[in-house]
Amino acid sequence: MSRDRVLIIIPAHDEEQSLPRTLLEVRERVPGMDVVVIDDGSHDATAEVARRHGVAVVRHPVNLGVGGALQTGFRFAVERGYSIGVQLDADGQHDPADLALLLEPVLAGTCDVAIGSRYRLPTGYRAPLSRRLGMHLFSGVVQLAIGQPITDTTSGFRAYSRRVMEVCQHDLPQDFPDAPLLIALARRGFRLSEVPAHMRERRAGRSFYTLGKTLYYPYKNLLASLMAMLQKSQSP
Amino acid sequence: MHFLSRTQEISAFCAAGLALVVLELVRRRRLSEEFSLLWVVASLAMAVLGFSTPLLQAITRGLGIRYESSTAFAFGVAFGIVMMLHMAVQLSRLGRENHTLTRELALLRHELETQGGRPDAGASGAGGRA
Repeated sequence: MSRDRVLIIIPAHDEEQSLPRTLLEVRERVPGMDVVVIDDGSHDATAEVARRHGVAVVRHPVNLGVGGALQTGFRFAVERGYSIGVQLDADGQHDPADLALLLEPVLAGTCDVAIGSRYRLPTGYRAPLSRRLGMHLFSGVVQLAIGQPITDTTSGFRAYSRRVMEVCQHDLPQDFPDAPLLIALARRGFRLSEVPAHMRERRAGRSFYTLGKTLYYPYKNLLASLMAMLQKSQSP
Repeated sequence: MHFLSRTQEISAFCAAGLALVVLELVRRRRLSEEFSLLWVVASLAMAVLGFSTPLLQAITRGLGIRYESSTAFAFGVAFGIVMMLHMAVQLSRLGRENHTLTRELALLRHELETQGGRPDAGASGAGGRA
């Protein structure tokens, strides 16, 4: 694996408690891998914690949401010549040991976006009912739009090719880079692929999906998915 | 000869007053010309309709409305809706620009910190090793 060209992008908002363990795990499981933490307007010591662990930190002065943080990470990666960007949640829900499997299809050139799916493995992880319902709904929407089954549309563990990052650094759904992003990428001709990934409960901190956002999420994502479906298909 | 109703008088004077306020805000540079355009056009239209009874009556008859005051009110509501939509579009644009600027600022600050050799700035300009 050519590690020099891979950058792990960790969007983080108020994750000072979870982040140290996540960074240590990255160091243990994939030593030497480049990491950038995008501190998305945290009110706690997220940035300081990340710096203490020796990783690069880019701080948003205000909170932009996961999409905005990811976009900054893509820009960072493109400007510094990385060929693959890996999105990894700061809350420690993903196991960096799965990284090799996630990178494999992108490195091999068989896909442009590899999505780590918790539903491709019998991991015992059971999401709350509301989230499971949403997951089924948006899996159906994505399948309808692109004709390909994607079981984990909200996965925060994905690998993106350089070409995808070049496009997404300018244009990415801001709040939730989930189903609409996958549809938009597929409509642009990028190839998506799912690989099994382990999923654990978050270690600490609050989930990004608060009650207000849980209510807003289906509306926003359905509308954005519809808009993405109406885009003209094109070659990447 | 047509006489102005009390409602027409009030709406006409309010509209004329609003147009003057808008122009004064533009003069003091507290409102940009771009945003003043809709307000000036709408308030002048309301003033004309208020003062010109035949025109207001013709429009009222043409639209099948019973009272002239209802016509003026309907125009006001329509303007309010258009203005709110216009503002929502402008806010969305500003939000997008704000996001872009925020990301740009964050990346520039990172550049500055790494080039300035701040010890707490993480490893080099590239991603640091975990």
